[in-house]
Amino acid sequence: MTASATTAPRPTPSRLDDVRADLRAFGAAGMKEWRLLRRYPSLFIGFLFWPIALPLAYVFQAQGYSGGQPAAIDAFAQRAGTAEIAGFLFLGWATYMWISMILWGPGTALRTEQVRGSLEALFMTPVSRMVILFGPVVSQIAWALWMFGVVGGVLVLFFGVPIGPMEALRALGVILVAVPALYGLGALFASVVLRFGEVSAMVQTVRGVFTVFCGMTFPIIILPVWAKAVALSLPPTYLIGDLRAVLLKGSDFVSLVPELAILAAMGLALCGFAIVAFRRTERYARQGGSLAQY
Amino acid sequence: MIEELKAAWAVARKELQIARRYPLNLVNEVLQPLYQFLLPSLLLGLTFYVGGRAVGLEATTGTDDLAGYLFLGTVVGGLVGAAFWDMAFGLKREMDAGTLEPTWLTPTRPDTAVLGRAISGGILSAIASVILVALGAVVFGADLAAGMLAGLPALVLASISMIGIGYLVASAVLMIREPNFMVDATNFIFAMLSGVAFPITVLPPVIQPFCYLLPTTYAIDLLRYYALGTIPLLPPPVEWLALIILAPAAVMVGRWVFLRTEHRMRVLGTTGQH
Repeated sequence: MTASATTAPRPTPSRLDDVRADLRAFGAAGMKEWRLLRRYPSLFIGFLFWPIALPLAYVFQAQGYSGGQPAAIDAFAQRAGTAEIAGFLFLGWATYMWISMILWGPGTALRTEQVRGSLEALFMTPVSRMVILFGPVVSQIAWALWMFGVVGGVLVLFFGVPIGPMEALRALGVILVAVPALYGLGALFASVVLRFGEVSAMVQTVRGVFTVFCGMTFPIIILPVWAKAVALSLPPTYLIGDLRAVLLKGSDFVSLVPELAILAAMGLALCGFAIVAFRRTERYARQGGSLAQY
Repeated sequence: MIEELKAAWAVARKELQIARRYPLNLVNEVLQPLYQFLLPSLLLGLTFYVGGRAVGLEATTGTDDLAGYLFLGTVVGGLVGAAFWDMAFGLKREMDAGTLEPTWLTPTRPDTAVLGRAISGGILSAIASVILVALGAVVFGADLAAGMLAGLPALVLASISMIGIGYLVASAVLMIREPNFMVDATNFIFAMLSGVAFPITVLPPVIQPFCYLLPTTYAIDLLRYYALGTIPLLPPPVEWLALIILAPAAVMVGRWVFLRTEHRMRVLGTTGQH
């Protein structure tokens, strides 16, 4: 019996088969992340504690700053465009926590695989690099929606912010438009982490830039001109502004189209950059044999 | 006693040597509080300014020096962080590295090793605080009067208390397998209840009594009172007395709980488990 008789020629997978396989791999990556989360129950408590505790501290701080003085409260309302101090701060910090998740997520996932020694094995699999890069995103979107749900619940129940189903739907729309921009940013960040092998300090620095410029605790109109220009070049600024607009100022979706278009365009550009950066990093790592080094 | 202190100093030197190996993390000791707390808080404060003055803060605390108020809060925040992360969570790092059991097999007492980490954490926190306060004064215009020196003994007393608190948190770290969230959350709550970010008088009345149990509440209050002329929570002599009583009490209780926990872990044989 010859070798050619025993091994039948394998059919070449079609493009559609590849896409199906990648979608299955996406699902599997999401399931893996979910299982890892389930192994650490304290993370669940964290997802309930931080979306409430962190903004609440700033609400108390705002109370200290206002001192019950009508002039100070009016000054805030005039600059922020809303008198809902709690809503303003909760939405800003919810975005901050989502960004934290994104920055820690893909970057840390790749770095963890690198430290565990499983990154090389992962790269040997036939799945698309997009799955490796964006796979952890699947479970994180669920967590982001959960976090915004917690924040919305607190605002309605404890602070009396009137958020109806329409406002909630509009906010969901804003969040979905922001997904490509934010996860593109996370993926780009992951490539940098893989290249330089450092997570913590980089996350702190990038997160710090967003905290200072994107208006998480303040309206960006109080920033100097140069800082405002920086703020307008960062996607979280639009996300925070639009969430506040639909939930606190009653803006409709149409009035936000220009800003949402910018956010969507940023998303496309960032995802494109991320894919290119990831391929380059991978090529660099393969050539230098640094994929398993840390 | 002297031998134990020498051992604690040796542990502190070792920790400082390790810290020096990660310069980016050292820089972050200063930058992190700046961009994660101080700048967002300052910018929020600016949103409430009326005619260039923090009139609301002045009505609440007695000072309109927003930068001074926040930067002094950060000094005590750093002290709290040192107790929770450097002193207590350091044990978890030893557990992960597998060096906790060998360390405890040496003739040095386990509580001495923890004390060593408290010393190194305190030194790093003090350096970061000096840089932050200088930044506050030079860049952000914090008007910190020379009277601040009068409040420094309050910081020393609070540091002693925090060693006791650090022992308590370290006991919890030993008992909990995944203590990251516990340390992070309790550190945050402790700092907030101490008044690091805002005057505790804005908290709901049901929470305020807990604030008065914390030594750091009095340390921040005295520091702000002497440096900025804020309205004190209690008459200053009462706050000094509270600090003097809480310092030895916290160390005694904390150390006792830590030694009990360590003994229990030795009996159960769970020291190496994490």
